Amino acid sequence: MNIKSETILKVNKLSKSVTLDDKQLTILHPLDLEVNSAETLAIVGSSGSGKTTLLSLLAGLDLPSSGEVYLKEQPLHQFNEEQRSQIRAKHVGFIFQQFLLINSLTALENVMLPAELANQKNAKTLALQLLSDVGLSERSDHFPNQLSGGEQQRVAIARAFITQPDVLFADEPTGNLDSQTGEHIADLLFNLNQQFGTTLVLVTHDHKLAHRCQRQIELAAGRLVTATVVEPQTNVVML
Amino acid sequence: MSFLNNAAAKQSVRLLRHELKRGELTIVFLALVLAVATVFSLTGFSNQIKSALIIQSSSFIAADRVLETSRKIDPLIIQKSTTLNLQHVQQIVMSSMVFAANDDQKADPSTMLLASLTATSDLYPLRGELLVSTTAEQLVNKQSQLVHAPNKNEVWVDKKVLTNLKVKLGEHLEIGIKKFVIAGVIQQLPDNSFSIFSAGPKIILNITDIYATDLIQPASRIGYKYLFAGDNKDIEQFSTWIKPQLNNTQRFYGIKSRQNALAKVLNRAEKYLSLASMLGIVLAAVAVAVGARRYSHRHQVNVAVFKAMGASRAYVSNLYLLHWSLLSIAGILVGLIAGYFIQFFGLLAMAEYLPNTVTNNLIEPLFIAIVTGLICAVAFAISPLIELFNTSPLAVVRSVKQTKPKLISWQQVPAFSALLGLLMMFSGDWKLSLILLASGLIIVVILLLFARLMMSLGRGVGSKAGQAWQLALANLKRNASENSVQLVSFTIAIQLLLLLLVVRNELLADWQAQLPETAANRFLINISKSQVDEVKKFTQQNNLVASAVYPVIPGRLTAVNNEKISNVNDPSVAQNSSQKSSLKESTLKENAIKENSAVDNNKANITRRGIGRELNLTWQDLLPEKNKLIAGKWWQASDSNAQVSIEEKLAQRLDIKLGDKLTFQLGSDIFDVEVTSIRTVNWQSMQPNFYMIFNQQVLQDFPATFIASLFVPELQQQKFSSFIAKYPTITVLDVDAMINQLRKVIKQVSIAIEFILILVVLAGSLVLVAQVQATMEERQRNLAILRTLGARGVLLRNSVLYEFIALGVMAGFLASCAMEVAVYFLQTKVFAMAASFHFKFWLLGMGSGGLFVGLIGLFSCWRLLTKTALHRHVV
Ligand SMILES: Nc1ncnc2c1ncn2[C@@H]1O[C@H](COP(=O)(O)OP(=O)(O)O)[C@@H](O)[C@H]1O
Ligand SMILES: [Mg+2]
Repeated sequence: MNIKSETILKVNKLSKSVTLDDKQLTILHPLDLEVNSAETLAIVGSSGSGKTTLLSLLAGLDLPSSGEVYLKEQPLHQFNEEQRSQIRAKHVGFIFQQFLLINSLTALENVMLPAELANQKNAKTLALQLLSDVGLSERSDHFPNQLSGGEQQRVAIARAFITQPDVLFADEPTGNLDSQTGEHIADLLFNLNQQFGTTLVLVTHDHKLAHRCQRQIELAAGRLVTATVVEPQTNVVML
Repeated sequence: MSFLNNAAAKQSVRLLRHELKRGELTIVFLALVLAVATVFSLTGFSNQIKSALIIQSSSFIAADRVLETSRKIDPLIIQKSTTLNLQHVQQIVMSSMVFAANDDQKADPSTMLLASLTATSDLYPLRGELLVSTTAEQLVNKQSQLVHAPNKNEVWVDKKVLTNLKVKLGEHLEIGIKKFVIAGVIQQLPDNSFSIFSAGPKIILNITDIYATDLIQPASRIGYKYLFAGDNKDIEQFSTWIKPQLNNTQRFYGIKSRQNALAKVLNRAEKYLSLASMLGIVLAAVAVAVGARRYSHRHQVNVAVFKAMGASRAYVSNLYLLHWSLLSIAGILVGLIAGYFIQFFGLLAMAEYLPNTVTNNLIEPLFIAIVTGLICAVAFAISPLIELFNTSPLAVVRSVKQTKPKLISWQQVPAFSALLGLLMMFSGDWKLSLILLASGLIIVVILLLFARLMMSLGRGVGSKAGQAWQLALANLKRNASENSVQLVSFTIAIQLLLLLLVVRNELLADWQAQLPETAANRFLINISKSQVDEVKKFTQQNNLVASAVYPVIPGRLTAVNNEKISNVNDPSVAQNSSQKSSLKESTLKENAIKENSAVDNNKANITRRGIGRELNLTWQDLLPEKNKLIAGKWWQASDSNAQVSIEEKLAQRLDIKLGDKLTFQLGSDIFDVEVTSIRTVNWQSMQPNFYMIFNQQVLQDFPATFIASLFVPELQQQKFSSFIAKYPTITVLDVDAMINQLRKVIKQVSIAIEFILILVVLAGSLVLVAQVQATMEERQRNLAILRTLGARGVLLRNSVLYEFIALGVMAGFLASCAMEVAVYFLQTKVFAMAASFHFKFWLLGMGSGGLFVGLIGLFSCWRLLTKTALHRHVV
């Protein structure tokens, strides 16, 4: 849908340091990055290399120590918590490794949540549609603890797409699942992503999953080590 | 309401509905319910009990308050009482000779009698029941009817008046210059226990007749009594108003200001009820605080999700404020309903012991309970809620950094202020509340230190124990700071429960000891020397439990170490001592000391303190039962030097020490005697008690009458009556009614105490459960990790069980230590009892602590410890 190759995420000299036991520790060294609209980007690297840190900065969950982040041309690095929340509400969706569904809400209510937050009128219809898209229409009244891990992540995916975000951030979405379920989840994710034309920033240490993205960057010890590799082939969805 | 239409409100209600149904809010909800229910029922209940007890026991003085004086009082006082809606009765009390007045018998000296007259206004008695037999038939069958003051020209008389004057019901007697019809024979006097000690049998007449007797002369010794009764609030107001203006000649007292057995029971019971209620509130509040903290922690990840998805802080605050408010309101409402039923059924259970005069006023408890609920819901939730609102959205990718609970920190200021406020509201005593809270804080700090210490010690022990134990103790150690907080709350809960249990047992045992089955129910007064052996023989032959037979010799203390003491001629004191016989002082300690202190205040700087009236002196070879020597030595019967043993409080008051030389005057004789011992006396024991006991050497030559007390069982009543009929000069004092009433009150109080104990146990248990629950998430994570690392199920389960058992036993141990200190303080300072040690309860504390906490822990982790559940959590 959104075919124009406009820049949706732009990062200049972005870095993050934390103080640990009175010592300054740089967990992300200055890096530059641009992500185009509707592009799929994988951030790979071993555990502890700074992938999640980068993702949280890109999504405006956290503030950088230095450098700039623009999301839809909005300077996130200059915004306070509340302003960044507004940006997230309008443009951002998430999928997490631990699914992070609200335990005491049903699958349906979990999916509706972001739409309600954004004050969308037809939250329920949309949510039901998405639940059926992820194959869980039958389970809409179930609570998360009545669902398997894979099913929970499917609910989370439905929840992520309900507001049709411009950018979807996924942090190790298959990390807590066995490989078969993981693959199924990945299929769903890419499928919906293509359907909605969403920009996808996917953090993973799974190279197979990363390969399904158009582009990969690799982090090691908080540094960008591999220049961006553009995968020539288009994404093929296998169901 | 527009607010309810927005998404936050909708989600809030939705969340609440599901969570309530899924039982996720049960603990904090129950904590709130319990806090409110406890306060509601306890306030309602103890108010009821208190007023019931006071009304019932006020019948001991036939009023709520009595003003006794030797002169007429300012009419303003009566006016004031009327404006406060108090009822009042005016009485004139005096002794006088009365004569049988049946026509021709008038001159016969055997038909006259020294009687104690009470001329009273119509409303007497204001409390309690005056029972009188008005017909010969009733008299024979010991039946009676409820009456007030007699009509004009009529009198109610003691039965003794009939026998001594040889007159019958319906016949006449002459008091002063006026003739009266004997209209009834008194079967039960409401103020029996006090007035019966006055000289001679009692005659009650209407106060409108007293002037017609011509007995009121300028020189006559008369006493005035004003009885007041009314609502507690009005009575209190009246008391506060009148107290500052009392003078030396006036004594103002209520049932509780009297130094008698009942007053003591009542005071202690009331203190216990307040204490138990306050501790109940503390426990319920702690449960709410723990519950609120867990509530906040459990929701942090949700808040992070909300925020990551773009919810503003305001949105989240609205959502959770509404959520918490609805929960609190529901909790308060359910608490009120539960509280109402608890106190309703509590009172129902006690109905037979409560007089039906008590009205069920629920406004005050309702108000206090709602305020309690609100304070708990707001103050204990404020800092956890703020923490919740401040949760960073970053928590969706990084595990939530849970702030370690700090018992002593600025964050706890609202909670501690709330606790203080609650205690103040409940006790109405800011000083007591502050002391309670401050000592509580100190205890918490000490406990925290101990807890840490014990947990590090535990490790050493653990290394020698099994694998599960090692794991358990290692866990304890690893979470030392979290666990020490947990340990402290376990400890406090267990300690408070032990405390209440121990104090309850002590109180009940004390009351039991005070009123054993064979507590004396008859006092024999005015036994002459020649009758002493007869009395002794009778009691021996019939196996009656009896006190020693004490000689009684009135005498006056005139000097201490040759220093003359003030014998202020206080008219009220003079009247007391002359009108009331020996027993008055001896059995019921009476207010001799109090009266005196009033006098002392005025005269202390001039002369040495004195007693101001005659004392009843006695001599004994052996230390009487229930007297305890606290200094000096008891004499040998053979000692030839003059010695005296003095009661402790009097010795303190008069500043008399061992070895001091006391000078006494008995009639015209003056002699010196050395103080060789100091005794404590149990004034509540049903036996003759004395301030001064001499060795035989000193007093044997003075003329004495004798007194004794004994227990006459129902079955031997008849035999006793016929024995006593042979000695008309012996006065028999029947205190059965008083003892029964005392037993009844004690029964009431015991039930009340049991009842409140149950509520407090509930509150305490909830604290334990809430505390275990609060750390469950943490524990679940640890267990899951251990499980993935390959630990066996049995090992894990045992380690969890042992960890909790260890916690429980430690808590039980610490609680027992703390309980012992607190009980010591309470016994000595609050309940005025002897301190004691309670090893049994140490075992109980540690045993039940380990068992209870272990079980709760195991149950809470149970699901987690079964394989599938574990798997689910790892996934
Ligand atoms: N707030 C923080 N304080 C200290 N260290 C941090 C913090 N956040 C991240 N780190 C450290 O920075 C490194 C990168 O973390 P992260 O971005 O989570 O790595 P990844 O997601 O690639 O596994 C890790 O070593 C992590 O421990
Ligand atoms: Mg990561």
